[in-house]
Amino acid sequence: MTVTREELAAYADGELDAARGAEVAAAVAADPALKAQIDGHRALKAALGAHFAPILDTPLPERLTAPLQRREAEIIDFAAARNRRIARWSWIAAPALAAALALAVFMPRGGDGYASGGLAETLDTQLVAAQPADAPTRILLSFRDQAGSYCRAFAGEAQSGIACRDAEGWRLVTEGDGAAAQTGEYRMAGASAAEVLERAQAMAAGPALDAEQERAARTRDWR
Amino acid sequence: MLALLPRLRRFAAGLARDPADGDDLCQATVMRALDKRAQWLPGTRLDSWMMTMMRNIWIDEQRARIRRSETFVAEEAGMAVGAGGGQEEAVELSVIDRALRTLPDEQREAVLLVMVEGYSYKEAAEIVGCPVGTLNSRLVRGRDALMARLGEGV
Repeated sequence: MTVTREELAAYADGELDAARGAEVAAAVAADPALKAQIDGHRALKAALGAHFAPILDTPLPERLTAPLQRREAEIIDFAAARNRRIARWSWIAAPALAAALALAVFMPRGGDGYASGGLAETLDTQLVAAQPADAPTRILLSFRDQAGSYCRAFAGEAQSGIACRDAEGWRLVTEGDGAAAQTGEYRMAGASAAEVLERAQAMAAGPALDAEQERAARTRDWR
Repeated sequence: MLALLPRLRRFAAGLARDPADGDDLCQATVMRALDKRAQWLPGTRLDSWMMTMMRNIWIDEQRARIRRSETFVAEEAGMAVGAGGGQEEAVELSVIDRALRTLPDEQREAVLLVMVEGYSYKEAAEIVGCPVGTLNSRLVRGRDALMARLGEGV
């Protein structure tokens, strides 16, 4: 029986099937030259393994780990953000809140966390002191945050929360379901007016604006 | 992917023949893998996928180097006359490093994948993109060349 060098290597690496492996094993046992080749193959394997082993124990340079850690953090953030989105929107699907769905259609929510439509207009123009008692969305108070931006806490049928003015518009900082969503059979986790005010207090750098200050801020376009 | 890094580094060091070049190669592989991670099929082996990617980057890099050296070889050869550059560095290298450097890429990668990384012939053949029989014969030729250079005392 002849054994090729390829077969011998495959045998040494445990790659032959059982039947052929047994035949090669018999040939190796009968021929010291074949045995020497097997030994040489395994010795080389051991030497190469030992030669490269230290790399596995060397601390990884930051340039290799940093991109991965950064990316993994992004992925986790993204997953968390998606979960938040699902949680925020899930109430719409609740059949008991079908009435709230109609409100949701014109709920003035920007696509990217900014107020739009009627809410943006309300935030731009409506003053606490002058707003009608039956305004669909009431401004609870206005204040400046730690960064000096104007923020306004608001509450409405469809939505309540806090929005702060930046270069792009009214960024929604805290959002909650409106009063309509909270009177249903299922009270969804959201910011009630009391919670909004509590949050506003935590964000504010000083007392709420009085009527005069609020009017002046509106004149400056809340900037 | 982070857990695979030490092994990727090891393969890169062997492939690029030098640990520093190996880390460059490893970094390029990580960046490409992040870019293309949507193409990885869950349930398949991430390590094989990345080794394949690394090998392809290395081959591309080699081709680019050859093109560069064809352009600049005359100038560099002129400057290197009598300089004996790189000799001291060569002395620092172990016998195994030097022996590995002399192998053609296709034999070196076969030896590294099977004898260092411990892949089966089939897995190694898939990474390299050749039939198992071809991988087997490259491995044997590379192994024989290494043993001839290293002598009996391995």
